[in-house]
Amino acid sequence: MEKWKLKPSGDLGLSPIERYRSLKRESGLVETVLRFCWWTTMRFYLAIFHRLEVNGRENLPVEPPYILASNHSSHLDTMVLGSILPSRLRNHVFPLAAGDFFFDKPANSAFTALFINALPIWRDNFSEDDLAILRKLLIEEKSIFILFPEGTRSRDGKMAMFKHGIGMFVAGTSVPVIPCYLKGAFDAFPYNRALPRFSKLSLSIGVPLNFNSVSDEKDGWSQVAADVEASVRQLMATNQQQ
Amino acid sequence: MTDAIRERLFGFGNAFDHPFTFWAVVGIVALTILAGLLIYLLRVTKTISEERYRDTISRWKPWIPLILCILVPILAGAAWTILAVALLSLACYSEFARATGIFRMKSITAVVVLGILVLTFASIDHNDRLFFAVAPLTVALLAIITIPFDRPKGYVQRTALGVFGFLLFGYSLGYLGNITNDPNYRPILILIFLGVEMNDVFAFTVGRTLGRRKLLKVTSPGKTIVGSLGALVLTTTLVAVLAHYVFQGTPVDRLPVLITLGIIISALGQLGDLVLSSIKRDIGIKDTGTIIPGHGGLLDRFDSMMLVPPAVYHFLSLHLGPLGATEAARIFTGG
Repeated sequence: MEKWKLKPSGDLGLSPIERYRSLKRESGLVETVLRFCWWTTMRFYLAIFHRLEVNGRENLPVEPPYILASNHSSHLDTMVLGSILPSRLRNHVFPLAAGDFFFDKPANSAFTALFINALPIWRDNFSEDDLAILRKLLIEEKSIFILFPEGTRSRDGKMAMFKHGIGMFVAGTSVPVIPCYLKGAFDAFPYNRALPRFSKLSLSIGVPLNFNSVSDEKDGWSQVAADVEASVRQLMATNQQQ
Repeated sequence: MTDAIRERLFGFGNAFDHPFTFWAVVGIVALTILAGLLIYLLRVTKTISEERYRDTISRWKPWIPLILCILVPILAGAAWTILAVALLSLACYSEFARATGIFRMKSITAVVVLGILVLTFASIDHNDRLFFAVAPLTVALLAIITIPFDRPKGYVQRTALGVFGFLLFGYSLGYLGNITNDPNYRPILILIFLGVEMNDVFAFTVGRTLGRRKLLKVTSPGKTIVGSLGALVLTTTLVAVLAHYVFQGTPVDRLPVLITLGIIISALGQLGDLVLSSIKRDIGIKDTGTIIPGHGGLLDRFDSMMLVPPAVYHFLSLHLGPLGATEAARIFTGG
């Protein structure tokens, strides 16, 4: 018989709002049901209204951990990347979202946490403890992070330079980064529109990048960001030639 | 559905038919207000320090919404009471599952939730055979639900936690809903709640005033032998006196039966408290939640209620015949 072990939820003792904002949040049956409904609806919505096309699906690893890193031009981006992942991994998928935007009000926090399973990144207050919790979640708990290394949505449709934050998660580890390029999201749902247009979206998934030989310090992080950005730009160039 | 059934399930009109219900509600409201005033008075006269006042008042305040959440559904009708019991069961199981970690096994939790929903339906339908069948059937389902995953490691652990959680928070608390099939359910439920909650108050007060020797110093260091015995005597007396008015003219209205009922409520109330203390000590946590400020989680407040309802139901049925036997059965399923 397995050794008797009781491990309380990581977010035990927190109020509901604190739980939604906590990086130690854990999902139960309610969240699983809500996410199943949300992502099923999202898959249908993207397939029917945006005629979503996915290329390079074979590049996705079968099992986590890994990071999906993509260009960022609309709120549809997270929906597209989340919807292509298998349902069985739903509770292991964590989009990293700006805390000051998605977790500022209780209702926002509840929706973002319960349905999307996003984790807040407080851009002005990201501590080493937060980084340690996220790395543990990614590597030891075998998770999938959805990350937009530009840091914010594009204001003109052009891809900005990737920030080195992504390197903090993967430098010196064997966790692969899967570069992705999403085409059409800026036209469909730019930052200044309240509702999306029903235009076509196309996602290209690149080959996994590994950074286990990269040093886990600032230069290494910058190298990771530059390599991922180059891969996404390569996907963009290939996509535009077609 | 006949008018009589509709009235029992959803009707507020007969809420105060039994004089005990009226006087108990008046007494509870008066006692709550009086307690608040007393705490305030102690502060004004500087009998207690400002810090002690803040601590006491923060424990008193949550009682107002708690009493409303208990009394309003009971007065509003059987269906509302049953739904409130279902919500309490689900919330208590949720806290238990998060504290023990069994929430990570979603299939186990799904079966427990299913069991609680069927119990709720059985109570609303007044379907005793279904109600009593839910326990063995849910336990059986819990025993087999994780077998198809082909992961025998941890099987005993997860199945045992599921069964334990369902029987305590689903089935045992579910009896509170089933009691509503008796036309006299309002005074019976108020008697149970009053007995169990006053039992806690008596144990705390007597223990603080007179108690020295710890009851179980590792399991629950705050409890004393004198506090426990004091609560047993006071609660048994209180329940026996109140139950005399609730069951006037019935076979329960005899001194030995009334005293036994009091002992059942007091002893099982205290044991329920110790059950949760044991769970918390084993896991190494102080509270199971944060929903009630000053008290902790719902389980921390309703732990004393866990073991009482089935014992009271079957004890009363032993003397009165099956509770609700005079009422129409299988309201929605027919037969």
